[in-house]
Amino acid sequence: MARYVVRRLIQAIPIIIGISIIAFAIVHLAPGDPFDRFRSNKVSPEVIENLRRVYGLDQPLPVQFVKWFTTFWTFPWDSTAWGYSITDGLPVRDKIFERIPSTLQLMGTSLILTIIIAIPVGILGAVRQYSIADKTIAVITTIGYALPTFWLGIILRQIFAQQLDLFPLFGKHSFGKEGDVLDLLWHLFLPALTITIVGVAGWSRYMRASMLEVLRADYIRTAKAKGLASSRVIFKHALRNALIPIVTLLGLTIPTLLAGAAITEAVFSWPGLGFLGVSAVQERDYPVVLAFTMIGGAMVIIGNLLADVLYAVVDPRIKY
Amino acid sequence: MESTQTTPLPGTAAGAVDEVDLTPVRTYWQLVRQRFVRHRLAVIAFFLMAILIAMALFIPLLSGDAWKETSLERINQPPSLTAPLGYDNLGINTFARLMKGLQTSLFIGFSAVVVIVMIGVTVGAMAGYFGGWADNALMRFVDIVLSIPTFFLILMLVAFWGTGNAWVIIIAIGLTGWTTAARLVRAEFLSLREADFVQAAKALGAGDRRIVVRHMIPSAMAPVVVAATLGIADSVVIEAALSFLGFGITPPEASLGNMLTKAQDYFYRDPLLAWYPGITLILVVLAASFLGDGLRDALDPRQRVEAN
Repeated sequence: MARYVVRRLIQAIPIIIGISIIAFAIVHLAPGDPFDRFRSNKVSPEVIENLRRVYGLDQPLPVQFVKWFTTFWTFPWDSTAWGYSITDGLPVRDKIFERIPSTLQLMGTSLILTIIIAIPVGILGAVRQYSIADKTIAVITTIGYALPTFWLGIILRQIFAQQLDLFPLFGKHSFGKEGDVLDLLWHLFLPALTITIVGVAGWSRYMRASMLEVLRADYIRTAKAKGLASSRVIFKHALRNALIPIVTLLGLTIPTLLAGAAITEAVFSWPGLGFLGVSAVQERDYPVVLAFTMIGGAMVIIGNLLADVLYAVVDPRIKY
Repeated sequence: MESTQTTPLPGTAAGAVDEVDLTPVRTYWQLVRQRFVRHRLAVIAFFLMAILIAMALFIPLLSGDAWKETSLERINQPPSLTAPLGYDNLGINTFARLMKGLQTSLFIGFSAVVVIVMIGVTVGAMAGYFGGWADNALMRFVDIVLSIPTFFLILMLVAFWGTGNAWVIIIAIGLTGWTTAARLVRAEFLSLREADFVQAAKALGAGDRRIVVRHMIPSAMAPVVVAATLGIADSVVIEAALSFLGFGITPPEASLGNMLTKAQDYFYRDPLLAWYPGITLILVVLAASFLGDGLRDALDPRQRVEAN
């Protein structure tokens, strides 16, 4: 297993280099630069040139790339490794790190709620296949699956925050109430609900499919035939095997945990990573955009690896 | 997945008939149609999609510039026969604008899928047909593209290379979305390469290009058509999200996404403004997904997923 993980990590190196080249090219070969908006009659060209020099944008692209890519990995001990933000001059690393807790709060809550709701719903749908309950669940999850996340966010906000005035419109804290847990939960409710609804729609369908697959297996028939109570068959024999693909799904969800909720965060102005990424793109904040892409890429690779490792952990038939 | 039903001939008791196969010989396309029609939701989805496309094509054509014509007298007028959804704060006919937005969204969705299929089929066919290092290199490239969070990649491409330009959006969605199609085509090609009819074509002296284009690609298209149909839903939603964030289609041009953005500003006067583009979007997504499911069952029964 350890050898397998090491091999996968070595295979990830060319992928990381590939991601960095593509991201760097998209950002730096694009027409215009971040300082274009400062250009006017009142700003002398020298000032712009100075800014470009401070941020290293005057150097040839290959030089910029090598410099950026090599210093990028010194981030654990160098807070300036990811450069400085163009919008406020703060070190990019600190800007990104300070957003991580908010994103974890939002995505962690949503993920836990999603799992708690989706797994029983999926089991119910599979065990009572084609029953009224199953069909009702199917209709609801199909519609839930078709809901664009950001539209759902807008509508929930419109109904519960604007029309009924039950929840705040945006943000994470009321003014002067930082650190108040109840206030935080109150702000968290709508964005978390948005992500949970869409998540449950997808996860419960996976769970149902996975459970149906297992329920058809021979050992389930054996268990039933030898007279076990059906609850024991379902929860002891079937569920544990049906959860295997779900565990894999968990690994694959990791990257979306950190970057995937960008639009929901933007709708609710939730101060997380995704919102930072979207605003950085809006502001053409190159260093933040690049760091964000690299983190997103690393998350995908780690998530995939985690999925495969977890798969081997929960399923002894799999050996690497 | 029941065993095929045998219908007894009228007038004879079941089982009394000799064991004669009465099923007429059917061509592939007859079978496809038969399997598709049996999928009730897919048929409904087909008609829904057809209606949506027809409305998006003809209503803007018939109503001319109504989707952008402002008028002081018509500001916030209630619904009427010519404007079923009333007029907005600028005196624009909301229904006409919605249909124009639907047109933009469907145009971007379908065009993006065409780009996805073109890139995906080319890359997948090359990887699967040539194998070896070409396959390796192309599949590593697929891994790289798959490892960048898709929506963020599209956001970067659109924001830095041409905000508000429909073609940039189409190409951005195409450049990021082709990996699934490429993998499907590659997998098909790996098995088709050894198929008898391909070997026969090779033995007859057909060139690589002829074998790939005339013989292999048509046989490998079934899963791609399914993926492409499902891809329409994704592309339309991505366009709406981009426009909503201000990177996509910008007013005065209409799109479902920028209508949503605007609806947010006028919520207090007309909360329904956010529902129209949203419901339209959901109808497109539902139609495309069920159409995709039906096509999967019809074109590619091996891939049938019991879960749905």
